[in-house]
Amino acid sequence: MNQVNSTILETRDVYIKYAGEAAVKGVTLPIYEKKITAIIGPSGCGKSTLLRSLNRMNDFIDMVTQEGEILYRGTDLYAPEVDPVEARLRIGMVFQRPNPFPKSIYRNVAWGPTINGLEGDMNLRVERALKQAALWEEVKDRLDDSALNLSGGQQQRLCIARALAMEPEVILMDEPCSALDPVSTARIEDLLFELKENYTIVIVTHNMQQASRVSDYTAFMESGILIEYGDTEQVFTRPAQKRTEEYVTGRFG
Amino acid sequence: MTLANDNPANQQAAAAARLKRRHLVSWAFEKACLTLTLSAVVVLGILLWQVFSDGIHWLDLQFLQSFPSRFVEKAGVKSALYGTLWLVSLTALISLPIGVLGAIYLEEYAPTSRLTRIIEINIANLAGVPSIVYGILGLAIFVRFMGLERSVLAGAMTMSLLILPVIVISAKEAIRAVPSSIRLAAFAVGATQWQVVRAHVLPEALPGILTGVILALSRAIGETAPLIMIGALTYVAFIPEGPMDEFTALPIQIFNWTSRPQAEFHELAAAGIIVLLAVLLTMNAVAVYIRYRGTRR
Repeated sequence: MNQVNSTILETRDVYIKYAGEAAVKGVTLPIYEKKITAIIGPSGCGKSTLLRSLNRMNDFIDMVTQEGEILYRGTDLYAPEVDPVEARLRIGMVFQRPNPFPKSIYRNVAWGPTINGLEGDMNLRVERALKQAALWEEVKDRLDDSALNLSGGQQQRLCIARALAMEPEVILMDEPCSALDPVSTARIEDLLFELKENYTIVIVTHNMQQASRVSDYTAFMESGILIEYGDTEQVFTRPAQKRTEEYVTGRFG
Repeated sequence: MTLANDNPANQQAAAAARLKRRHLVSWAFEKACLTLTLSAVVVLGILLWQVFSDGIHWLDLQFLQSFPSRFVEKAGVKSALYGTLWLVSLTALISLPIGVLGAIYLEEYAPTSRLTRIIEINIANLAGVPSIVYGILGLAIFVRFMGLERSVLAGAMTMSLLILPVIVISAKEAIRAVPSSIRLAAFAVGATQWQVVRAHVLPEALPGILTGVILALSRAIGETAPLIMIGALTYVAFIPEGPMDEFTALPIQIFNWTSRPQAEFHELAAAGIIVLLAVLLTMNAVAVYIRYRGTRR
């Protein structure tokens, strides 16, 4: 399974603790470029915590300590000389609940590139991001409307567009469909297939059908431990671990 | 009792009675709230009516444009009105940046440590300190130690001490009410802390911050004790032309008039109160306008 894939992100024996209590215990996981990696597991297994560590969003949570290494293109993301702001430019994020800024649709997409001084025609950039997020047709005539007037599914696609406008290399998605209805979920899953042409995606989900439908690689976590990692098809059809088999066949969790 | 409960018809009746009682409690609570609200409004109405019926016929241009005098017909609030406007403007200039930036620091930057908690608890305690204590502090530090004398600047600095805790606390609340999901979203597109605060936290928190600031300034406008403490004069026949000038303020003038034996001066005090209320209402109107513009963005 390691044929021509290049590793863009890699965790090495990562421990993450909240106030001394380990939420992630010794996870070593490669993330391959331009592939979709799904992290599955029961609630509270540490999958979201692990995901947030990949673009240093855990920095904003008090009392979090971390051990081990997270390598981004070979350099430690947590080295003192790494600027977390710059890291987040390369590694974008979409959250569990749609969280658009309470501003216009246009400003939502344009704000990130503006504050970071990205070059080029901003209107073009906004249009491209909205098209990539499959939202353009629905909003092109009302870009100045408040983003809060959009439906939940539209808001989440707007949040994806907001991340895409930064032209990151990696997009982290933390259960992006958990607050959405099945139709919106299907649209976002379709979107993921198109996005992996250009982006590396890591998606946390507790929806196993979703993981098996969209991902190339799957990691199964339980109680902070990485139980199994491999090719999605293998993990779902011929899991090596009994716990994995029980989980993916719905016998627990 | 147990026998009766076995009967489905009795059970149904009991459930219906319970429901009726719950509706009754609900109704009674609403009416209680209404009654208490109305009684507060009525008391306020009586107060206003009394002030207006006493003072309105003294209220004219002459009253606004005259300095205080021992002759009722010649007396006016010019120096007190200007003094109050000076005092409020300077107080706002001093307390607004300190209070809001302090709140931003405490909410957005300060680590959650024991020290931060102690500071926060102390700010809350300071909000409850009697105003006269701030007056004594102002007298000792600003008037005497810093040699500001009985200037309007010394008054404004004393007032700023008095209202800073209120501004910090209300600004903190307003900032805390901004959903953290918005902050995270901004950080996730590569914003710095300052960019997050400037573009998202402040605009969202502004209406709440303004409400707190206006309430605090309204308190400053009505305060008398600390001003008397730092020696604001009751008889001032000039208007301050700079922050170092001596001054008087509306509450002091009103207090002075009410303590005189002649009934006419009491009516003059009522007229002074109307002027004070007008200043307050204007400030509130400005705040409402800014808030309205802020939310339309």
